[in-house]
Amino acid sequence: MESEKLHVGMSLLMIGLVALTWTWGLKWAPTELHMGEVYRIIYVHVPAAFTAFFSAFILLIASIVTLIKKESSAGLWGRSVAEVGLIFTVLTLATGSIWGRPTWGVWWEWDARLTTTLILALLYCGYLILYSSLAAGPQRNKIAATLGIIIAADVPIIYKSVTWWRTLHQPPTLIRPGGESTIDPEMRIALVSCMVVMIIVGAFLTYQRYRNLALAEELEKLSYEQTP
Amino acid sequence: MKLLFSQTMTIVRHGFKIEWANPERWLSPILFAITMLILFSFSVGTIEGPDTAKLLVAETYLTAFFSLQISFARFLEPDQQDGVFSLLRTYPLSGSAWYLGKYITVMIMGLLILIPTIFLTSFLHAKSGVSLMSIPVITVAVTALSGMAALGVLLSTMTMGSGSKQILYPLLYFPLTAPVLISAVEASKSILVDNVNLQSLMSSWLGLLLIFGVMSFTLGILLFGELVKAE
Repeated sequence: MESEKLHVGMSLLMIGLVALTWTWGLKWAPTELHMGEVYRIIYVHVPAAFTAFFSAFILLIASIVTLIKKESSAGLWGRSVAEVGLIFTVLTLATGSIWGRPTWGVWWEWDARLTTTLILALLYCGYLILYSSLAAGPQRNKIAATLGIIIAADVPIIYKSVTWWRTLHQPPTLIRPGGESTIDPEMRIALVSCMVVMIIVGAFLTYQRYRNLALAEELEKLSYEQTP
Repeated sequence: MKLLFSQTMTIVRHGFKIEWANPERWLSPILFAITMLILFSFSVGTIEGPDTAKLLVAETYLTAFFSLQISFARFLEPDQQDGVFSLLRTYPLSGSAWYLGKYITVMIMGLLILIPTIFLTSFLHAKSGVSLMSIPVITVAVTALSGMAALGVLLSTMTMGSGSKQILYPLLYFPLTAPVLISAVEASKSILVDNVNLQSLMSSWLGLLLIFGVMSFTLGILLFGELVKAE
C-alpha cells in the first residue's frame, strides 16, 4: 500500500515536472530571432533525442553487467531501457519531422542526425524483436546483452559516417568545441531543464517497465512450477 | 598459441568441407547477385553523366550487401543440422578459435561473392567507361567485407535460436552495417572520380571502415565464446 502511494506520488511528480518545463519552454522562453515560434519544438525534440541516445549508453552498461554478473535482472534492465529508448527515438523522429517541415520545407530529409536517429530506432526494434523471439533463460540474456553491446558500440560509428556523408542539420548550439555556447542564456536554462527532466522521466519509465517485466517473469516462473 | 591455431584450422577445414559438399550454398548468393545486377541494369538503363561512377559503386555494394547477407545468415545452418554445433559447445574448444575459424571461412566465402559481383558490374557496364576492377577499389571492398564478416558471424550466432530469424537478421544486419555501405561507396567514389589515393582515404572513409572492422572483430573475439558456451 505504501509502495502504491509512492508510485502514484512519483507519477504525479513526473507529470508535474514535464508540464512545468514544457510550459517554460513553450510559453515563457524568449522567441527565436530567425525561426520565430516554431523553434520552441526544441524543448521537446532535443531532450527526447538526448534521452534516446543516453538510453543506448545505459543499454551498454546493462549489457556488460549481464555478461559479467550473469544476473537475469540486468537483462530485464536492458530490455526496459531499450523499450524506453525506442519511445524517445520515435518522439525525436516525429518532432524532428514536424520541425523540418517549416524550416527545410519537407517532412523528411536524408540529413545526418535524422538518418542516425532512424537507424537507432531500427536497432532498438531489432533488439526488442530478438529478445521476444528467444526462449526465456540465461542464453537469451547473453544474446540480448551481446547485441546491446554491438548496438552501443556501433552508434558512434553510424553517427560519424552519416555526419561525414551529408548534413543539413545545424551544428551543436548548446556546447561547441571549446566550450562556447551560441544559444541565448535564457533559452539555454530552459533547454537544460527540459533535458534534465526528460532524463529523469526516462529513468522513471525504465524503472516502472523493469518492475513490470520482473513481475511478469516471476508469474511465468510460478505458473511453470505449478503446471503438473 | 599452437593449440589455438590448430583448432582454428580444423574449424576452417570443416567449414570448407561443408561448403564444398553443398555448392548450392555459395552458388545461390552469386546467382542472386547476378539477378540483382541484371535487374538494376534493366531498371536504370544506360548509366551516363557525372554520377556514373557513384551509381555503379552504389549498385555494386548494394548487390554485394544483399548477397552477403544471404550467405552470412545461414552459415551456421549445416552445423546445427548435423549436430556439430551442439557437439562443439561441450567440446574443450576455445571460443576464440571457433570464432576465428568461422570468420576465416566466412571471409573467403564472402570474397567468392564480392569479387565476381565487382567484376560483373564492370563487365555489364563496360560501356560507361568506369571499371571497378582496380586494386584500390578492391582494397576498399575487402576492408568493408572484413568488418561485415566479423559482424555477420556474431549476428548469425545470435539469431540462430530465434523463430523469426528470416526477418530479424536483415533488420539487425542492415542498420548495423549502414556505416560500411556509406563508407565503401564514398571511398570508392573518391578513388574513381577524384583520384584520391588509399593513403589519403585512411584519415576519412577508409579509416572508418578499418575502425568498424577492428571493432567488430574485437567484439566477436570477446563475445562469441559467451554466446556459444554451454549453460
